[in-house]
Amino acid sequence: MMWTSDFDLDEPLTFDVVAETIGAKRSLVMRLAQHGLIETVDAGTDEPRLPRRVVVRLRRMQRLRRDLGVNFAGAAVILDLVQRIEQLNRELAEMRLPEK
Amino acid sequence: MAAANKDYYEVLGVKRDAADEEIKKAYRKLARKFHPDLNPGDKTAEEQFKRLQEAYDVLSNAENRKLYDQYGENWRAVKAGAGPPPPGWTGAQQGAPPPGWDEAQRGSRPGAGGFDFGDFDLGGFSGGGGRFDIFEDLFGGARGRGPRSGRGRDVEAELELTLEEAHRGGRRTLQMQAAEICPTCNGSGMKDGNTCPTCDGAGQVLRPKNIEVNIPAGVRDGSTIRLAGQGGAGSNGSEPGDLYLHIRLRAHPVFTVKGDDLETELSIAPWEAVLGAKVEAPTIDGKVEVSVPAGTKTGQRLRLRGQGLNKRKGGRGDEYVRLKIAVPQQVSPEERRLYEELQRVSRFNPRS
Repeated sequence: MMWTSDFDLDEPLTFDVVAETIGAKRSLVMRLAQHGLIETVDAGTDEPRLPRRVVVRLRRMQRLRRDLGVNFAGAAVILDLVQRIEQLNRELAEMRLPEK
Repeated sequence: MAAANKDYYEVLGVKRDAADEEIKKAYRKLARKFHPDLNPGDKTAEEQFKRLQEAYDVLSNAENRKLYDQYGENWRAVKAGAGPPPPGWTGAQQGAPPPGWDEAQRGSRPGAGGFDFGDFDLGGFSGGGGRFDIFEDLFGGARGRGPRSGRGRDVEAELELTLEEAHRGGRRTLQMQAAEICPTCNGSGMKDGNTCPTCDGAGQVLRPKNIEVNIPAGVRDGSTIRLAGQGGAGSNGSEPGDLYLHIRLRAHPVFTVKGDDLETELSIAPWEAVLGAKVEAPTIDGKVEVSVPAGTKTGQRLRLRGQGLNKRKGGRGDEYVRLKIAVPQQVSPEERRLYEELQRVSRFNPRS
């Protein structure tokens, strides 16, 4: 089976769309943004928008909260640290590549 | 795929008479170690976590735990039927559970809800020597929210691109294993009262699927691409989930990316630095000739306007060429003589 797909690339989303996508209340998403746990972008609209990767981050936060019993602030710290570890691992792997 | 049928108590590392609190503690402890969100890209951890979650799903529910203790791995079949089976029961006569039964069970449990990572798998990437691996999937819209229930799971994967691919865009074929509803049991995981032999109780089977993705020019490291409807299959004719591709840019041997701009280092000879020269410099689109001004110092940067990366919405960044004066490690007698002469006649004092 072969599919050809077009996609939306990082088009910013509204709070309503993000809340609907992750099955959460809009007020929760707003609060997380106000606390700086998720990033927002200024789209020149009344309300800031959310980059699409926030959906993924929010879902991870929901899972960590549910599976590990941490709160959203804790989940955000965990995800930031995991991201830093991934970055370091990539840099390490690059350094270990044989010199050309 | 379906987690291996293993002793749930062993999976959690607790005794058979462990209290609920102990089970929860053991689960949390192991979940902190194997949680896929803490181990992105680690297949082994993901498998471990699946087993862990399946075990905890069962043992954290008093009723299910009792059935599991009594009937072992066939407990689901017992539960699906009308009460405990008669002595000598073989498990063959019990009906399959109604559709959605498993979700309903999960939903009814307080606290940690169940979602499993087991319904989607991506294999190797075909073409271009790229790397494409799934690092997790998501619980889809299956949790409440009426119209979305039954929708397939959303899936996340990482797509590694070269800088050139991100710059120019192009087509990539992703070859992956996509979960589809098991044709034997129609997703119930049960066949004639037993675990479905085709899908081993998972309710889904993996089938190879190729997706052709148009990568637009100008994607960046950290961009997320959503492929609508390319995630996990939906149950009962519901829409499938989405596939989220996270773009990673492979480190480039020549260029460093700074937003839309590119940076590179270019070595020049001492006399080129002093006298000025026209030299070839690399750009993402090939070589160009640049003018090194007379009197160039190491670290000085030349800006090649419009030679950076394509931007998503048109336009390009710039390229910065950092110049570095290289010194010959071996010189011929003639060169040596000339340097000595230079030393004699030059009044240049770099330390003044």
